[in-house]
Amino acid sequence: MKKIILSMFAMSLLIVSCSSDDDATPSEPLGAYEDGIIVSGEGGPSSITFISEDLMTSENQIYFNVNNEATGVYLQSLGFNDDKAYIVVDAGTITVVNRYTFEKLGTISTGLTAPRYIAFANGKGYVTNWGDPYDEADDFVAVVDLTANTVISTIPVGNGPEQILAEDNVVYVSHKGAFSTNNIVSVINTSSDVLTTTITVNDNPDEMLVDDNGDLVVLSSGKPAWTGDETKAAITKIDMDTNTVSTTLEFSDGEHPELMMYLNGNLYYNLGSAVLSITDDATAVTSTPLFTTAATTLYGMAAKDDRLYFVDAVDYTSAGQLFIYDDTSYSLINSFNAPVVASKIYFN
Amino acid sequence: MIRILLVFLIVFFSSHIMAQVALDSIQRLDEVVLSDVKLTRYAKGYKVTVLNDSLLNNNRVSFTDLLRFNTNIYFKENGYGMVSSPSFRGTNASQTAVIWNGISINSQLTGQTDFNTINTTNFNSIAIRSGGGSVQYGSGAIGGSIHLNNTLSFKQHFDNTATLSYGSYETKNISYLSSYSNEKFSVNVGLDYIDSENDYKYLNTDQSNENGAFQNGSINANLGYVLSNKDVLKLYHQTFIGEREFSGTVSSPSLAKYEDQNFRTMLEWSRFGTKSYSKLKVAHLQEHFKYFGNQNSDNFTFGKVNTYLINYTADIDLLKDLKLKPIVSYNYYEGSGSSFNNPNRKEFSTTALLLYNPNEKWHYGLNLRQDVTSGFNSPLLFSFDVAYEVSNSYKLKLNGSKNYRVPTFNDLYWQPGGNLDLVPETSYQIDLGQEITYKSVSFNLNAFYIKTSDLIQWKPNTTGFWSPENIAKTQNYGVEASLDVSKKIKAHQFSLQGNYAYTVSEDLETNAQLIYVPYHKANINLAYAYKRMSLFFQHLFTGEVYTTPENLSGIFYSVEAYQLTNFGLNYQLFKTNSQQIDISLKVNNLFNTVYENVAFRPMPDRNFNFQIQYKF
Repeated sequence: MKKIILSMFAMSLLIVSCSSDDDATPSEPLGAYEDGIIVSGEGGPSSITFISEDLMTSENQIYFNVNNEATGVYLQSLGFNDDKAYIVVDAGTITVVNRYTFEKLGTISTGLTAPRYIAFANGKGYVTNWGDPYDEADDFVAVVDLTANTVISTIPVGNGPEQILAEDNVVYVSHKGAFSTNNIVSVINTSSDVLTTTITVNDNPDEMLVDDNGDLVVLSSGKPAWTGDETKAAITKIDMDTNTVSTTLEFSDGEHPELMMYLNGNLYYNLGSAVLSITDDATAVTSTPLFTTAATTLYGMAAKDDRLYFVDAVDYTSAGQLFIYDDTSYSLINSFNAPVVASKIYFN
Repeated sequence: MIRILLVFLIVFFSSHIMAQVALDSIQRLDEVVLSDVKLTRYAKGYKVTVLNDSLLNNNRVSFTDLLRFNTNIYFKENGYGMVSSPSFRGTNASQTAVIWNGISINSQLTGQTDFNTINTTNFNSIAIRSGGGSVQYGSGAIGGSIHLNNTLSFKQHFDNTATLSYGSYETKNISYLSSYSNEKFSVNVGLDYIDSENDYKYLNTDQSNENGAFQNGSINANLGYVLSNKDVLKLYHQTFIGEREFSGTVSSPSLAKYEDQNFRTMLEWSRFGTKSYSKLKVAHLQEHFKYFGNQNSDNFTFGKVNTYLINYTADIDLLKDLKLKPIVSYNYYEGSGSSFNNPNRKEFSTTALLLYNPNEKWHYGLNLRQDVTSGFNSPLLFSFDVAYEVSNSYKLKLNGSKNYRVPTFNDLYWQPGGNLDLVPETSYQIDLGQEITYKSVSFNLNAFYIKTSDLIQWKPNTTGFWSPENIAKTQNYGVEASLDVSKKIKAHQFSLQGNYAYTVSEDLETNAQLIYVPYHKANINLAYAYKRMSLFFQHLFTGEVYTTPENLSGIFYSVEAYQLTNFGLNYQLFKTNSQQIDISLKVNNLFNTVYENVAFRPMPDRNFNFQIQYKF
């Protein structure tokens, strides 16, 4: 273990000592965790797994292995910016690491309360915070100075800000509503760091992405039946020039997708462990699955280069699983052990 | 470690031991003074061990630590002073019943008792009954039951004990016990207050237990009044009010806070006839918790249950050697809380205990119970036990039983997820015990097998929330050994008490050891007294426990085995016929061991406690 750290240290020295006239030679690897898949798990204990791009090697608990400390309760999400990765932990800290070596570079530990996701725009970091989850009026987006790793200002927003996405120096925040419910997407101007507008969508918006048409796509899960007040889930497309809803594709009652990913013009979403997809110009959602994953508790998904990736949180106590499928034959290519309550998939 | 222990034991065995018959303090207790007669009279084939009041009052420790160091029970404690759940013979916390003067006080919300919300001040004895006891004690007595007993003596006396202690992490404890009686009237009161910053250092890190302070106060008061030469009226009461910060993990701070309020009151009328002895009990129990996710805000979730019970029992001498004890009891539970509306449950139970003692050597017990409960069907429960005295020094005990655990309010009514279709967990078990007593040595060996089905487990369901289901099946088997040796040479007194348990507790589907059940657990207590001075050593070994169902080892999959030693010293400063002052010093975690009891939740470093006790 020590050896690995030492060799990494040596490697990092090499990297530092590489000067720009080495450009003709193939570039040195940036670290052990360059080029591959990163899977984070909420825990407990939370941890991060790395799988090499060729699927030949995998390593669990990479943050622990490098830094000899755990990642905390609960690891909500990761954010990537330049050569850094930001590990967002619910308990109120963000740990900054080198994204290729996973060496700890610093922490952001004050000014965050129940942080959820981080995005980057205009040279700054933007972190969604629930505040006190029982208080529906103290939620905010924290603005982070990425050099000093400090919170420099907070932007008050509606209840339960969840995912955050930056596009052309505008930041979009979906409000899932923390412990209750909400139905808005907030738009933040990153020059002035103020909330410019909110866009109403269906209940419980969570996952967001930008499709090939340049639309912001938002998946709202709707309120499930058990609340006694079931509302419809929907895929909503937002025109980012006007910040207005251009399309709403609603689901039937009883269908509450929670995950979404995008690849080659196909928008994928889930219903339980089943995967469905529609194209960019679809006028309605489909209820016919493409296939059903091997996951017991499908908890996260992502897509890249002809492959669909799924994480299984199983029973929330056992080690999670990562399943990799081919995006045309829908056959299982490979599967790996993943962290406990595996929830997010990133590509390094 | 085990090998060293064995060598040690053999050395002890081979040493010459003087005669002194160890008397079980509880066996001598008169029916008048003990509320729970079943525990002594109708458990002949069970292993019952007693921790008496000298142990309880002289070294004031948490209930968790007391049992951890003196019994085979394993505790999963979320950091010192935090939620503490027992595992008795590899069963889970809701399969361990805590019995207060004969009635179960397990939470109706969670099905379990948090052992850090039990204050042992003013209990005359604590008995640990191993094995199934649902027939006699109801839901949850599967692995075993722990009995908190108050006794009322009508012998003329007036005794007081005041105890002050101060220790590491600004731990302050004050307690006062007073007991008075004349021929007609008996009263004893115990008051206790403890306050601790509990901000111990996490060894090998630069962190400390930042959010772990706790304080609690308790009242434990009991009254008895002789109405006539046939009737005795008794009132038992216990109040526990506690507030705890909930500490985080080594990598995450926490801001959570938890408040407990428990009130227990029981009125008991006993009547002595020529051939029978009957008792009527009425009781009210209230449990109430508040959980603050962030203690700096006023937002909290809560749960509250009121239990009302009425219970009638008689001990009837059918024949000279045949005793019958019928019990009828009615319980009404009403709950309220943030996560459900206002559910209630009614429970009517009938029990018959039969005891047959044909001669001095043989004791047979046969017990049956049937409950009628609103909301689900309860199984017919039975148990049998046999005790056979092979010789004066060798006794065999065998018992078998069918036990159950009923779904809790959380299981049934939690929104979302509560499942009204649940049935009780059922469990069959058999337990064979051997007792060897020779002079002042006693050795116990028990082997047990438990099979439990329809275990209630919360699982995420297809609609995206958690819901409990009767799914898992488990089997537990293992051996328990305990050894007691005491020896007196002139003014020197030595005693040794050791326990070892080997426990397999596996999921029958995966054949994997259940999480947080160590295969091996052992403890040893050595005490030495000379004139006014006494000292003790306690040593505990807890084997590795898995924290995930995969049974892998490593920091993310298991909690390492650990060994822990405590040391204590007591000196009698002053003693007359009516007054006594003792001072004592205790060192916990003598060797400053780095250990965790739950993954990523470090336990305290070496710490000290100084106590002064005044008896008058």
